[in-house]
Amino acid sequence: MKKLYTVIFIALSGLFINNVNAQCDTIANICTKHIISSYISDGQQYRALLLNSEETAEFRTTFFGETTYRIAACSGTSDGNLIFNIYDQDRHLLFTNKNQKNAPYWDFKVKSTLETIIEGQLDANKNPGSGCAVILIGFKQK
Amino acid sequence: MSLATILSSAIFVGCNGGDDKPDDKKDDLVETPDTIKTTQFNFSGELFSVPSPIQTALLIQKSGVTYDKNILLSSSNVNKFSTDYSRSLNLGIYGADLGYVSLYNQTQDALSYLGAVKQLADKLGISAAFDASTMERIQKNVTNKDSMMVLVGIAYRSSDAYLKNNQRSDVSSLVLAGGWIESLYFSVNAFKSKPNEEIKRRIAEQKQTLTSLIKILGMNTGNADVVELTKQLTDLSKVYEGVILKYNFVEPTTDTVKKVTYINSTSDVTITDEQLTQISTKIVEIRNNITNVTKS
Repeated sequence: MKKLYTVIFIALSGLFINNVNAQCDTIANICTKHIISSYISDGQQYRALLLNSEETAEFRTTFFGETTYRIAACSGTSDGNLIFNIYDQDRHLLFTNKNQKNAPYWDFKVKSTLETIIEGQLDANKNPGSGCAVILIGFKQK
Repeated sequence: MSLATILSSAIFVGCNGGDDKPDDKKDDLVETPDTIKTTQFNFSGELFSVPSPIQTALLIQKSGVTYDKNILLSSSNVNKFSTDYSRSLNLGIYGADLGYVSLYNQTQDALSYLGAVKQLADKLGISAAFDASTMERIQKNVTNKDSMMVLVGIAYRSSDAYLKNNQRSDVSSLVLAGGWIESLYFSVNAFKSKPNEEIKRRIAEQKQTLTSLIKILGMNTGNADVVELTKQLTDLSKVYEGVILKYNFVEPTTDTVKKVTYINSTSDVTITDEQLTQISTKIVEIRNNITNVTKS
């Protein structure tokens, strides 16, 4: 019986993982439209599964001076479901798209190099359930 | 533990690469999904990102440094890398080289490096990571510098997603490491050939990324080669300890119509000539260990 549970678990886990990966892939593909061709991708894709709107996911990155960055943030198949915040190394809030009607992308003209923390969170008003959150970064010289 | 709970766990792992170390926060997430207050975790199972090597190559070109093929890893070495470790790192190095030659409009070299990237990906068994349509677009646009930069970025982003989806975060972190090492190698060589403040500053500004990279690689403690590389990078970070980066917060300003925020904060960098020399010596040594085919 234990063996049967194990087999069922492995099979269903595989299906769920594939399903979630496929969901994230779909969202990432939708999100790439915001990184228009004047921006070069940083070569990475940041994704996380958020189970509710109280969870946040974050990562740290360097913004180099004299560079313009575009951040695109997506969840679900329509724009505006993901709130994203950008903080500096001392946790000063530099930007939140919450004040910009959850804009799915935003540009940042960086004067001088700084370390940032990029945080994502599902908007409770738009997406009360769980979802894959995707953040993409593009850049160009100022 | 119920079957449903186990499956919740599977969903979470699926979106985060699956090979991350156990994490208390994740356990909380799985065990008590309906009692979570505020849970925080990391995108793609990583707390840090590594800036694209193309950014540094762009700066080098902008500062007037001429194309130098001699600083690149010869694309003909591609068949000599025999382990997944060396192939992954050199995939990152060749990716940075591809960006560099494309930036300088070196069409023939770009095709050679594209071939090297494809070959290494095949040997790693991850050829699907570089999707055929993007690779085809790169080949068609090889004479267009701007398109090439964009397409190389897209190709590496697709491969990053593919590797994480397929529980190959070990490979993706080494690809990132290879790209970063090559970009610092570009910088120290560019500084030698044409010393200028912008490149000097960019070398100093790698301090935080190096710390991040060490943490990312530190997640893979099961591979002796990775442990050794992490040790070498840690030695390099000791040189960086003396490099001073001073950050001054200035309130940002936002133009809502243009959808732009101006990050007005400033930073000051202090790096000595001795530190630059030590960084240069160390990064050359690290890169040689990776690209030296007799060791790979």
